[in-house]
Amino acid sequence: MKVIEKPVPETAAGEPGNELEALRQRLGPDIQIQQTADGIPNLWVPRDRLLEVMGGLKKDYPLLFDLSAVDERVRSHRDGLPDGDFTVFYHLISLAKNSDLRIKVALPEGDSSLPSLTSVWPAANWYEREAYDMFGVNFDNHPNLYRILTPALWEGHPLRKEHPARATEMDPFRMTDELLDAQQESLRFKPEEWGMSRGAKHTDFMFLNLGPNHPSVHGVFRIALQLDGEVVVDAVPDIGYHHRGAEKMGERQSWHTYIPYTDRVDYLGGVMNNLPYVMAVEKMAGIEVPDRAKVIRIMMSEFFRIASHLLFFGTFAQDIGQMSPVFYMFADRERLFSIVEAITGGRMHPSWFRIGGVGQDLPEGWDTMVRDFVDYMPARVDHYDKMATQNGILKRRTIGVGQYNSAEAVEWGITGPGMRATGLDWDLRKQRPYGGYDQFDFEVPLAANGDCYDRCVVRVEEIRQSLRIIRQCLDNMPAGPYKADHPQATPPPKERTMQDIETLIQHFLNVSWGPVIPPSECSVMIEATKGWNSYYLTSDGGTMSYRTRIRTPSFPHLQMIPLISRGFMIADLIAIIASIDFVMADVDR
Amino acid sequence: MEWRLVKAEADAPMASADEVYQEQVAKGFLTAKLDDLVAWGRAHSLWPFNFGLSCCYVEMATALTSRHDMSRFGAEVIRATPRQADLIVIAGTVFRKMAPVVQHLYDQLLEPKWVISMGSCANSGGMFDIYSVVQGVDKFLPVDVYVPGCPPRPEALMQGLTLLQEAIKARPRPYSWMVGEDGEVSKYQPSPRDDRTPVRMRVTELEEPSHVGDAPLSKELLRQKSPSPATPGRDGTGKRR
Repeated sequence: MKVIEKPVPETAAGEPGNELEALRQRLGPDIQIQQTADGIPNLWVPRDRLLEVMGGLKKDYPLLFDLSAVDERVRSHRDGLPDGDFTVFYHLISLAKNSDLRIKVALPEGDSSLPSLTSVWPAANWYEREAYDMFGVNFDNHPNLYRILTPALWEGHPLRKEHPARATEMDPFRMTDELLDAQQESLRFKPEEWGMSRGAKHTDFMFLNLGPNHPSVHGVFRIALQLDGEVVVDAVPDIGYHHRGAEKMGERQSWHTYIPYTDRVDYLGGVMNNLPYVMAVEKMAGIEVPDRAKVIRIMMSEFFRIASHLLFFGTFAQDIGQMSPVFYMFADRERLFSIVEAITGGRMHPSWFRIGGVGQDLPEGWDTMVRDFVDYMPARVDHYDKMATQNGILKRRTIGVGQYNSAEAVEWGITGPGMRATGLDWDLRKQRPYGGYDQFDFEVPLAANGDCYDRCVVRVEEIRQSLRIIRQCLDNMPAGPYKADHPQATPPPKERTMQDIETLIQHFLNVSWGPVIPPSECSVMIEATKGWNSYYLTSDGGTMSYRTRIRTPSFPHLQMIPLISRGFMIADLIAIIASIDFVMADVDR
Repeated sequence: MEWRLVKAEADAPMASADEVYQEQVAKGFLTAKLDDLVAWGRAHSLWPFNFGLSCCYVEMATALTSRHDMSRFGAEVIRATPRQADLIVIAGTVFRKMAPVVQHLYDQLLEPKWVISMGSCANSGGMFDIYSVVQGVDKFLPVDVYVPGCPPRPEALMQGLTLLQEAIKARPRPYSWMVGEDGEVSKYQPSPRDDRTPVRMRVTELEEPSHVGDAPLSKELLRQKSPSPATPGRDGTGKRR
């Protein structure tokens, strides 16, 4: 099979240049435009014009995809960029035009505050809290600008360059009674802080703490519930218990040695997490990946999509009260993992994609295993469909529960199966085919109601489509190298080492320091298991990333929980949480 | 156990009183030290706490499901509350924000209680030497068994569990703080890794990972497709190591 990349729709569809020019005309002369390697136009906006500009842009670009900041203070390559110590950026997406826009605001160190965007986009709430927590940037008029990822008692802002990265650079952790008491006290839920009243005319509300350790919250996640009897009046999700500092980690690992950390971001997605990262690095380095590597990557990514959806399916059924499905689905996960293990050597976190290709070639006999699996699995999915999704109790528990429509999905940044369950036909593999997906024949499963049941049905159908893609990979696996022949492809081929001193030095540097990526910025997004996952990398021309921004789908998904669970019972909330399909590492990173 | 078949007839001879007595005597006596008996009971009725922190928990859950089925070792009664459990598997990364919660949960476990540290993060912080991660759960909890891996395979966790059971039998804990000394008598125990080093050092040639080998999947599925007499595997000698 020949994989031909479609020209990437870099800016707006149609005539990008003209559209951008029209935008600049409309916004005024004080807007500076910066081009980045991903082809997304970056508009530098003065902070006093931010609200006005964003308010105007929302009509055309209704999806606030990402919002974070960069500490610019020690960056050497800032050619022509506006002066500033911190940059806050907003990544906007227009689904209608299939185009992106990045708005940037430069802030000086002493006065790093800017207007909050929560009045324009409710989804900005958590993102701004995160930027405040990580960088100390203040957002004026934010309703509750508290820390979100670090503990309430944390000192400093971790993604500032002066904050230590390693735990071993800081004082060793000691569990004292004072710490225990102080932290338990800081976790006490105070309804007034969140604008909640303790009672209504004829009722006193009960406040229930669910988590951070609870069997049905899928990890370390806490929700404080305001209850009227058993009915959820309001909810405040509390995250950050799973913050592993993955973004800070990017600033001290080489481009190559960061790959294992990406696996652990969405820890059910395995090598699929590697994909947006290595693709971003490849784009910055100008590496063209060979066809075989592309198809191998797609095949492995789809395997992990199935593994993740199977786990979702089993736990979803379990949370609703069916005890057996999870055992069937985990047994099939094991069958799948034996293929993953035979090909990559690992199970959950193979870290197997490389800059320029994959870790090694497919082993002899891989095709038999894969064929056995794709022959075997469709009947199993039908069986599970009958067992779980056709079950009357499960239907009654989930249909009409936790519903939202397409407009709300866009407003809150909901992507992936959760977006397609509302009927919005947007799959990045179709709309912006990356890594060779345009060569594959598959359908995008859609549903209409956007409730818990539809979110499940969409994922079950996605398992079937992934099997279809894997079969096409199997039947059309191209021959050829599994890694690009490029000086930046890592690790370099061993055969070229022992020729003379030059080749030895080359090899040594490429292995120890890894590639040096030219100064540039690039973001790549993919359709990950749970939604759109993007890596926005900033290189300062070194062997490590200057800033690694990981936009994960689960973060905004959790933010929406209060909106879709008000008025339902606690048991429905459990169904809603299960239907979102998140892992906390994908939320807190 | 003795048993016999008796016709369901009204006048069939009943077992004589003496026979019944002898049978009951044979069944009812067991001579053992109380300590050993209690330790044996504790070792094989561990009630793990349903507790997970991150990726490792998925492998822990896998160990409980069909293919691995940890209940074979007598530790499947997963409890949702620490007050009904006596084993906590620290499955995943111990975060600074989560550590006081972990401590709180540990304090609520029933005595005597045991801790398995599962995976590199819980063992030492692992690859996450980062500001938000405690560098090993043993910074604040006493750990009985460390299971290496990132994440450890379900088989590794099951091995950790059997090691813990051996340790419970070998090093009994007091019945309560009111009877005897508190805490266990700690004995030096060599690590299983050191035990195996001589065996491992004898391996001189490692196989190239260029073919799928005895992949369990293909064998299993092929068996399902065409039932054929099972061929004895490489380890089909029936001998334990």
